[in-house]
Amino acid sequence: MSNYITRRLIQSIFLLFFVSLLIYVIINLVPGGPFDLLRQSNPRITQSHIDRLNALLNLDKPILPGKYCPQIGNEQQPCRFDQGRYIRWLVMIFKGDWGRSWTVKTGMPVTELISIRLGYTVLLMGLSLFISLAIAIPLGIYSAVKQYSIADYAVTSMAFFGQSMPTFWTGLMAIAIFSVALDWFPTGGVRTSGMEGDIIEAIGNIFTLGRAYPELQGQEIMLINDGLHHVALPALVLAFFNLAGWSRYTRSAMLEVMRQDYMRTARAKGCQLRVAIFKHGLRNALIPLITLVGLALPGLFGGALITETIFSWPGMGRLLIDAISNVDWPIVQGILVITAGLVIFSNLFADVMYGLVDPRVQYK
Amino acid sequence: MSSIAIPALEKVNVEKREKPASQWTLAWWRLRRHKLAMIGLAILALITIASIAAPLIAPYPYEEINLRNSYATILSPGDVGRPMHYLGTDRLGRDMLSRLLYAGRISLLVALSVTLFSVVSGAIIGAVAGSFGGALETVLMRFTDVMLTLPQLPLLLVLSSSLRQFTQVQLFLGRNFSVIIIIFVLVVFGWMGVTRLVHGSVLSLRGQEFIQATLALGASDLHIIIRHLIPNSFAPIIVAATLGFGGVIIAESALSFLGFGIMPPVPTWGNMLNEARAAPLQDLFTQALFPGFFIFVTVLSINFIGDGLRDALDPRLKM
Repeated sequence: MSNYITRRLIQSIFLLFFVSLLIYVIINLVPGGPFDLLRQSNPRITQSHIDRLNALLNLDKPILPGKYCPQIGNEQQPCRFDQGRYIRWLVMIFKGDWGRSWTVKTGMPVTELISIRLGYTVLLMGLSLFISLAIAIPLGIYSAVKQYSIADYAVTSMAFFGQSMPTFWTGLMAIAIFSVALDWFPTGGVRTSGMEGDIIEAIGNIFTLGRAYPELQGQEIMLINDGLHHVALPALVLAFFNLAGWSRYTRSAMLEVMRQDYMRTARAKGCQLRVAIFKHGLRNALIPLITLVGLALPGLFGGALITETIFSWPGMGRLLIDAISNVDWPIVQGILVITAGLVIFSNLFADVMYGLVDPRVQYK
Repeated sequence: MSSIAIPALEKVNVEKREKPASQWTLAWWRLRRHKLAMIGLAILALITIASIAAPLIAPYPYEEINLRNSYATILSPGDVGRPMHYLGTDRLGRDMLSRLLYAGRISLLVALSVTLFSVVSGAIIGAVAGSFGGALETVLMRFTDVMLTLPQLPLLLVLSSSLRQFTQVQLFLGRNFSVIIIIFVLVVFGWMGVTRLVHGSVLSLRGQEFIQATLALGASDLHIIIRHLIPNSFAPIIVAATLGFGGVIIAESALSFLGFGIMPPVPTWGNMLNEARAAPLQDLFTQALFPGFFIFVTVLSINFIGDGLRDALDPRLKM
């Protein structure tokens, strides 16, 4: 087992390198840089100014290792070998310097920008993951146990409908219905306006015993309350899509398991139906769900991107969209590499977990 | 000479036997019995026909602006002598129903082309990988796996926003460049599913006797791929393509919704939803309801059809 994990880990690291190369190349093939706007806005800036600035950020270097012929204005300099921007960027990433933002927050380190936003996305995604599992599993079990009942049909058709509803539509409709018409939830944002601090800072305070934001001490409960009120609707919207698929999945897994011999044995030796379902059936039915959840994470991030946009939730998704529309490649690269790493390692984690909970799976 | 009397050949009363139904006829029969799939097919046909016929049946031209009549409600009257705004108007007073019909043309066209291109390229890659084997197979399938691990939506955004910045691309593709860019980008990220399917089914077919027989008869690799391997993987491809079609509609709408897809004034359901976000809150409901509803109904009917096709083509896979 540990042999298997080591091998998969090494494979995953190679995969991550390759994916990061692919991401870097795709992004950097685009012409233009942070100084193009400068040139348009100020006619006195000449091409040689731009060239000098680009050289300062190494933007004149080739993407992959190769020949580099510096040119400033019309002045040609001798060619030499250059390690290329990708290698440079990779080395800097290991040193903890992910570059600085070009346009969104000019000059701010990418790591800082991302770490500010990360908490919000984790909160949103975590909560929605929790909601969808907490609803999908019981629904799936119920509709499997009561197969062909009205409730079963309701669950199955809800799953069908839910999977055909795009998040951006459910999000807008949820705002229109629950925020505007019924006024149950705010239409977006993280906190009620005029409030100092928000839920993420309050949680940070609890973990650091008030050292992170001393000025907010004593208000944590209220801030968390307010934050939960704001995150509820986006988390529900984000959960809705997966909920549909997962309840359908749990149902069919449960149906499959209930046909197995060991279930009949359990019943034959006098086990109550309830005990048989929860102790013998459910455990086996839920094993493949681990893989399913692991595979759903990238989609969940994509969904978070949309939900954050609709609900003005200041997470990584919004940052990414801002960065893409403002041609801020350092931020885009950073977020994409984090996401790719998340995807690759959650797949690995799901596979390893699968082996741990299911002794029938033998890894070599 | 005795002549041998040749008995007249008795007319054998052969019962008129029907030609045995082909696999596809059987599948069609099974599909016919799938009520939801039939309903889905009918709705999809209706939406498709209405979209194609948009210039004939739309009450207004889709870009006709009437600023005095913005955010009109459902069933509000048009100007004197003009048709009613059945589903209201948008921010610029453009007729909602007409825009939805025209939007359907673009959304369906994009989805159809993306599905077609990704199925064809995916099938070719999968078949080549499966039938040639060796290093080529390893490289192709590893690459497919890598493509599957890339974070899709963010890269779609990056790719479509960057392609748009190449002015040469814009000049080359002309007025509808954003449509073509979107098709290209979605195909780039859309072929992997079919590749895996075809690869798997080719692997299982390769060892079977009829392929060995064809090989012994001297058929070329290309002949085997085109005449035997791909047709025999048709059933799962069709199901995947159908379900993928719905996925493409959602992906295109998501891109357009985020402002990285098809650009106004060309309407699509996605960018109409994007425009709905700018509406005052009390108008949000009506502005967002219809474009989203069209996406929802289209994708739902496609999912019904896909489900029916899966049951009809491969009863073992029934969920």
